[in-house]
Amino acid sequence: MNLLRYHLRKLFLILKNEVFVLPSRIVVLLFFLTVLLLPLLYDDPYMMRILILASIFAIFAASWDLLSGFTGQINFGHALFFGVGAYGTAILNLRAGFPPWASIPAGALVAVLAGLLVGLPCLRLRGTYLALTTLAFPIILMGFVFSVPELTGGELGLSGLSRLARSRIANYYIVVITMLVLVTVMWKITDSHMGIIFHAIREDELAVKAAGINTTKYKLIAFSLSGFFAGLAGGLYAHFMRIAGPSTLEISMSFQVVIWSVFGGMVTIWGPVGAVFILFPLLEFFRIWPELRQLMFAIVVMIVLLYMPGGLLPWLRSKIENECPRCKIRNIATRKVCRVCAADLH
Amino acid sequence: MAVPLLEVANLNKSFGGLKATSNVSFNVARDEIVGLIGPNGAGKTTLLRQITGIIKPDSGKIRFKGQDITRRKVWDIVNMGIAGTFQNMRPFRRLPIIANVMVSCLSPRSMKTGEWVKRIEAKAMDALEFAGISDMALEKASTLSQGDLKRLEVARAIATEPELLLLDEPFGGLSPAETDLMAKSIKRLHKGGRFGRLHSEGPAMIIIEHKLQALMKIVDRVIVLNYGEVVAECSPEAVVKHPAVIECYLGKGDI
Repeated sequence: MNLLRYHLRKLFLILKNEVFVLPSRIVVLLFFLTVLLLPLLYDDPYMMRILILASIFAIFAASWDLLSGFTGQINFGHALFFGVGAYGTAILNLRAGFPPWASIPAGALVAVLAGLLVGLPCLRLRGTYLALTTLAFPIILMGFVFSVPELTGGELGLSGLSRLARSRIANYYIVVITMLVLVTVMWKITDSHMGIIFHAIREDELAVKAAGINTTKYKLIAFSLSGFFAGLAGGLYAHFMRIAGPSTLEISMSFQVVIWSVFGGMVTIWGPVGAVFILFPLLEFFRIWPELRQLMFAIVVMIVLLYMPGGLLPWLRSKIENECPRCKIRNIATRKVCRVCAADLH
Repeated sequence: MAVPLLEVANLNKSFGGLKATSNVSFNVARDEIVGLIGPNGAGKTTLLRQITGIIKPDSGKIRFKGQDITRRKVWDIVNMGIAGTFQNMRPFRRLPIIANVMVSCLSPRSMKTGEWVKRIEAKAMDALEFAGISDMALEKASTLSQGDLKRLEVARAIATEPELLLLDEPFGGLSPAETDLMAKSIKRLHKGGRFGRLHSEGPAMIIIEHKLQALMKIVDRVIVLNYGEVVAECSPEAVVKHPAVIECYLGKGDI
């Protein structure tokens, strides 16, 4: 009983001193609570389907940010990881009879192998050249998919994968909790010492080499981690849709993830995640004008990028929070003095 | 005979028709500070970049502690104990200053030498303190002035715990007072008293510098380069009277 009280008190103190002091952290807490509690209050199948797809694409977008935002290896062929993850999962599930909990991680490992296969020859390229080369890989793989229909199902893809779970609610919770965990893990990676090296590689690769860091190793780590998370997203997608088709390798898939990340704010992890949860339902909302749907979507994205070049969410955050000029701790914009060092905030 | 710390033998490098270094040979001993001077475009920076492995020489050998490092990767050379600074400073501009130094502290060499029990942050802070910019540890590197960027370069280099430190114009852009301070801290670093290596001696150094007055006070030996060739190698007192040196700075003929 005392132990319970101790932990409750600790939780309360963390909430009071760490979470409720910053509006952005309150928003994150609310986001976690909303996606976890929503189906209990309102279990509309259409809404749950949108949230599930948004969760899957949030993992995908965050994994792109991990590679291209943080390490600066701009990848325009991120659908490769997604597609390989989806196809790998589908083949393992259908041909080898793996259950979803085994086929999805195994499919993600296949995506990592594909990532290494692509990453190794691409490591010498940088900037535009890397972007253009990576653009080609999903297209090459798509050709391969069409050329061996016995294995991949050709244009129709592989259908009839087993369900993630029996009930819709269970499906929802599997995907959403996986998303929350994976995104937190990705954010933790970028917040660690490894994240500093990723940042530094983006800023100036030669200077990182001159600091004694094996940049090739870290770039490969970034490729593999990003490929793994994108592959997990692909596997979840395949099992949720119960089909792995060539649409997972399409160029639009590669560019969608770029749009989400740039819209939400690159180099943050939470930016792309937030962007997916804003843009994906928005695109569904625009179904009320079916013929103008894509145009409206484009206009919204254009306006945001025109006036908030750093992305929507960092812009919003800079409006409600200030950085203390002395200790660099963030404070809510209404405060006059810093909550840690009591320096004047202007 | 003991193996010298650094052995450069017959180093050649051309960029197209330009001979940046031609047949350069010299040695650096473990307890030396060597000055590397010469007019602009003499090939000083190219020579240093070849030692750190950023530029690969066309021919010739570079040996460090008896091992051939001519074709090694840049990070291997750093982890063997050679650290260099960039002449045109290359900080990670969008990272805080302490994170700039932490990258060096995360190198394998720094993780297992020096005071390796310390946390990475503490080691980075030590290096910043040595360079004199620890009060700005949390600022972004893009806010630093030219002189402070020089200090950051030095902090990043010494954070890898080098045995041979290559400084490319450490006094460039510093005021006379700052130059004095920097010269003093370089001297102190060489003696090994302060920076986290209490029980060992400081690094040997090669310093490129144009502010000769300040340089001559700290170096034991001067190597003069002109058109990629070593024209003189002598003590700092003798170098100002050396005819070849006067010729390359002022030209030949009767005055």
